Amino acid sequence: MKLNNILEINNLKFFWAINEDFKIKINNFKIKKNEKVLLLGKSGSGKSTLLNLISGIIKPVSGSIKVESKELNLLSSSQLDNFRAENIGVIFQQFNLLNFTSPIDNILLPCHFTNFKNKNYKFFKERALSLGEKLNLDQKLLTKKNSNKLSVGQQQRISILRAVINMPKIILADEPTSALDQSNQDLFLEMLFGICHDEKVSLIMVSHDERLKSKFDKSYYIESLS
Amino acid sequence: MKILFTLAFNSFLSRKVSVILTIICLTLSLTLFTYIDNFRGSAKKSFFNNAQTGDLILGAKSGEIETLLYVIFQIGTPTNNISWKSLTEISKHSDVKWIIPISLGDSHKQYRVLGTTSKYFENIKYKNKSLEFLKGKSFNKNFDVVIGFDVAKKLNYNLNDKIIIAHGISSNSLHTDFPFKISGILKKTGTPQDKLIFVSLEALEAIHKDWKAGVNIPGIKARAKNIEIENLSPKEVTGAIIKLNSKMKIFKFQREINNYKPEPLQAIIPGLTLSKLWQIISFVENILLIISLMVVIASLIGMSAILYSNLHLRKNEISLLRVVGASPKVICQLLVFESFMISFISICLSILFIQILNIMLIPFFDNEYGIYLDYNFLSMDNILFFSLFLLTSILLSLFPGYKVFKSSIVEGI
Repeated sequence: MKLNNILEINNLKFFWAINEDFKIKINNFKIKKNEKVLLLGKSGSGKSTLLNLISGIIKPVSGSIKVESKELNLLSSSQLDNFRAENIGVIFQQFNLLNFTSPIDNILLPCHFTNFKNKNYKFFKERALSLGEKLNLDQKLLTKKNSNKLSVGQQQRISILRAVINMPKIILADEPTSALDQSNQDLFLEMLFGICHDEKVSLIMVSHDERLKSKFDKSYYIESLS
Repeated sequence: MKILFTLAFNSFLSRKVSVILTIICLTLSLTLFTYIDNFRGSAKKSFFNNAQTGDLILGAKSGEIETLLYVIFQIGTPTNNISWKSLTEISKHSDVKWIIPISLGDSHKQYRVLGTTSKYFENIKYKNKSLEFLKGKSFNKNFDVVIGFDVAKKLNYNLNDKIIIAHGISSNSLHTDFPFKISGILKKTGTPQDKLIFVSLEALEAIHKDWKAGVNIPGIKARAKNIEIENLSPKEVTGAIIKLNSKMKIFKFQREINNYKPEPLQAIIPGLTLSKLWQIISFVENILLIISLMVVIASLIGMSAILYSNLHLRKNEISLLRVVGASPKVICQLLVFESFMISFISICLSILFIQILNIMLIPFFDNEYGIYLDYNFLSMDNILFFSLFLLTSILLSLFPGYKVFKSSIVEGI
């Protein structure tokens, strides 16, 4: 694996034990550092499953997945949890914020599971506030008591901040724009790309929307990877 | 881990209705169980404290429990009396350290009158303490009377006040010719003695001079001033409390009394007889205790069921935590911590409620039933029970924790 690759997948095979009809087969797939890659595919083609494999949430039947030159198959369950917290940021389709806690606590959530990477809480709080300013989220909003009255746009931005707060190497975004209209899609991607550029983070986003291809460095159809 | 506390606390606030209901349920069940257990122990202690005094109780041959109840607790009516002659003979026995005769039958405003000697105040003990006078002293004049603390308080009596004793337990037939003067008021003991009126046996004999078979004989008017009560000795008494020189001789002496030829007498060992009585009562208290324990177990299972069913509602939250790096162990710790917090809050509230119940119910049981319950903030048994409860709640929360271990993160996202 060349050092400038953030992800390398070789001879990957995956299927669910209860549904062998569903299969993911990838012979060789690489993503360079700081690249923005779009994975396209129809519904049920395995896009989200591939993201789960890359993040180590599920394990492949066979083959190898290396993230930041680390072979995920060789990591134990707790090492995988730790690795995910340290190196991978995730953005969900529904943004998945914890409504009962403040926006800033939502953003700082991953930091707690890496012991703040030998820095302190204050450092990450200031980082969250400063990144928040870039995305037009003021301190008053971020320190609100809970997150249950945030607009969709605010939820998007907080989920982006949560994905980058821990200084990950790669962000996995699972169809975050699928429920947004055209103008909100553009705004969301602009913010996401901007922050990935500033933070020097690679991005893999899955979508079924082919119109987004032009906005990414590279795009692949999941079916073409086998 | 601070994040666990923050997450658990905020999660609680978001589910406050179900959490509050669970806490109420656990608090009530804990309070119920602990109070019944405390009441049981305290009532038993209170009863056994009364039975501490004396080695043997002497009475006419009848039921053992009956003798114990009327001599020690002044409950019920004796079927027969002991002749003064027999009592005097027994008191001369070389094994007897002291003997205190007791005579029951009369009353004053529903409080029972107990005829005895002044030795009663010197020798009778409660909770290992001697009786003490709050005001005044023992009876040393003809028609002196000593009253218990509750009698003085309830009837608002003071030293030198005069009282009239009624014949029997009704207030219809009064010994109006013989007013008694209060010479002493006892300090609170938390025993039936607080509700007694003590007179000398001689005075009791004097006021019954012109009575026969419970009826005042017309034509005979025995005035107090005409009677030289020093020369009067009672013909019979209800019972007596006996202290022996050595505890080793209790069984031998008891056998001697039970085989006493001149009249049918019996001697009972108060502690043993009370244990027999308690065995009968304990059946009911054990049932109460088992029922309240069942309530505690049901509440604990309820809490576990709520945690378990909440897992489904919280699938998103738990999966999110897993994706951002929380290990199954951390999620399990979160659930255990939540369970711990619910149980701990319930225990604290329950301790508070028990103290409130104590403040309200100790005087109630004392006034209404003569059961003096000791105030005890927290007994060792309570601490043990609460610790066991906490441990059980933690163990029960491991079920939903195990479910988290087994479930896939993908389900929640």
